[in-house]
Amino acid sequence: MPWNYSDKVLKLFMDAVKGETGTHMGELENPDGFGEHGSIVCGDTLRFTFRVERHPTDPTRDIITQARYLTFGCTSAIAASEALCILLEEQGKTPIEALQVSNQDLIDFLDGLPEQKIHCSVMGAEALQKAVADWASKRGVDLAELLPELAHGDEDEGRTVCNCFSVTEPYLRRKIKELGLQSIAEITNALKAGGGCTVCHHAPGGLQDLLDEIWGVKPVGQVEVAAPHTGEQLSPYRLGQQIETAIEAVVRPLLQDEDGDIELVDIKGHKIYCRLIGAANQSDAADQTFKLLVEQQLKDQVDDRLQVIAV
Amino acid sequence: MKNVYVDNNATTAIAPEVLAVMQPYLTSDYFNPSSMYDAARSSAEAIESARRTVARCLGDIDPDQIIFTGSATESNNAALFGTVQANPKRGHVITTTIEHPSVLEIGKELERRGQEVTFLSVDRNGELVLDDYVRALRSDTLVVSIMMANNETGVCYPVAELARIAKETDAEIVVHTDATQALGKLPVDLQDDLQHVDLLSFSGHKIHAPKGVGCLFVRRGTRWRPFMLGGHQEKGRRAGTENVPYIVGLAKACELAIAGVPDEQGRVRNLRDRLQKALIERIPAVEVNGKEAAVRLPNTLNLAFHGIEGEAILFELSRHGICASSGSACTSGTLDPSHVLKAMQVPFTAIHGSVRISLSRYNNQEDIERIIEVLPDIIARLRKLSPYWNDERNCLEI
Ligand SMILES: Cc1ncc(COP(=O)(O)O)c(C=O)c1O
Repeated sequence: MPWNYSDKVLKLFMDAVKGETGTHMGELENPDGFGEHGSIVCGDTLRFTFRVERHPTDPTRDIITQARYLTFGCTSAIAASEALCILLEEQGKTPIEALQVSNQDLIDFLDGLPEQKIHCSVMGAEALQKAVADWASKRGVDLAELLPELAHGDEDEGRTVCNCFSVTEPYLRRKIKELGLQSIAEITNALKAGGGCTVCHHAPGGLQDLLDEIWGVKPVGQVEVAAPHTGEQLSPYRLGQQIETAIEAVVRPLLQDEDGDIELVDIKGHKIYCRLIGAANQSDAADQTFKLLVEQQLKDQVDDRLQVIAV
Repeated sequence: MKNVYVDNNATTAIAPEVLAVMQPYLTSDYFNPSSMYDAARSSAEAIESARRTVARCLGDIDPDQIIFTGSATESNNAALFGTVQANPKRGHVITTTIEHPSVLEIGKELERRGQEVTFLSVDRNGELVLDDYVRALRSDTLVVSIMMANNETGVCYPVAELARIAKETDAEIVVHTDATQALGKLPVDLQDDLQHVDLLSFSGHKIHAPKGVGCLFVRRGTRWRPFMLGGHQEKGRRAGTENVPYIVGLAKACELAIAGVPDEQGRVRNLRDRLQKALIERIPAVEVNGKEAAVRLPNTLNLAFHGIEGEAILFELSRHGICASSGSACTSGTLDPSHVLKAMQVPFTAIHGSVRISLSRYNNQEDIERIIEVLPDIIARLRKLSPYWNDERNCLEI
């Protein structure tokens, strides 16, 4: 699929990659706020840091003056990181005001994002929230008291719903409500959850169950049940034993005399799969002779219906 | 700036020779080959001549066994569903985790329809474990479908040997192989080493013919039923008015592909090897996926760069006029990185940063030098932006 990014996304990305002045790539040392969202396993990560101009008496009136990011991710993830920093630096907001910056603001700033890339903007908003929480704890600001709706505790703790992208239930619940996600597809586009093996879509306690619980039940189709596995056909135990005994007693010594060896791989009914090693592997014809020799020995020793298959 | 096209495992440029032989059938000879009047005769004959050419290219086999289709995807669908339909008493299918989706997804669908499907996994080199394959064969195994060469990594599979083992186990097991990436790069001989293969698929647009034409070989005597119904064309085995110009083009492309194997194995391999060596020397922390495999396609180079994301790399390459592809999640349309690289257990720090470079007869030294000139710089710049790269020590840092 060719890229259908807006000109704004392309410009921000290219400026960042070229390291143009005025771009925000980097990590501040001893930042006033530090937040990271995503992981290398999931395919994108944003490490976000900011610095404030401290208010002499009231930390809630600190003003964000500098914002930087390091991003592991695609074109739009890097552009969204730039957008976040630009928005914050331009607007001279307090960290608490900065929390108003939503993923939709980033999308608007970028003149839109393709649907499958919405999660890049969500990542920006999440890293920002974490950085503000970090600032609050460093500056002794009680965020939970100021903004009780933001107190969502440690969401890494809860039950993991999407194993592919390590997305937990508390996080999903909050985000489904916050972003008004109505379907599994919307969840996947915004949060990546469910975008891997898809097992969590209709599993008990999975994405559909969460959606149903949050938005009310819609009828869902019958969940598919995997077909039962029938057992492997085992070769008769006694026959196997006799074959192994014959190989040890007769065949292997014979081959070893010729600088070769044999490795038994499997037995299915009267078929014996083995690897003929060493001097034998010199030409197709020699391999064939070797195989016939082994087969004849086993027929003589054990059962003349036996057949050797070289692997 | 001239484009450097190195995405030939995705599709190829139409060869001028191919276009030339197609031209009459796109213009003056537009007749339906089934029509009775004299004017249509050349169209009907063109198809039969194309069939003979393709048959010759695949090891001088009887042309009756060649069926023209609309794509390799269609050939794979026809091969697998047609075999399952014709053998209702058997219920076990063997394939691999690294097939092209046009086989893999059919495997999953067959599972939903009640077949038992064994998906063989691969090792770190991308290779199958032969013993796993042997153990997977069962008395009710119906079909084995294993590709000759993988489109992402170029790793090749010993289909001749796998087919022989299947047939020695049970002559009724049907063996299918997707040869889409192998044709023109490896010898494909259905009378010689591939004599135990019953069904073989390939596509026109990977060998410099147009998109939308493919081929399915069905060995005489194979228990198989047609998949496309509704007409007598292709002896009732693939209904639908024949795409005469494309079939003619496909045959010409086959001829060129077979003649081109030595160039692929020699000159193209040298270009790939030079590129691989130069990039490894210039870029730290890079995996060459499939490098250790016993046989790898000579044109394919699959790289995975630690700590950065493939889509951003492709984007930068594209700005420099270089067309390549990636197995990264952001380019696949799903959110998961390539199933092939996952199956190979490419390290999680690199799996999102894969880039596939695939060459063809039309690439030259200049193209390779251009990539060597720009790619190391792109990687370094993106790594500067990455939280997982320590720029001072020039290494990955998690
Ligand atoms: C190995 C393999 N099989 C099948 C296909 C599908 O071919 P087509 O595009 O003709 O359907 C491809 C190409 O994408 C391929 O690489």
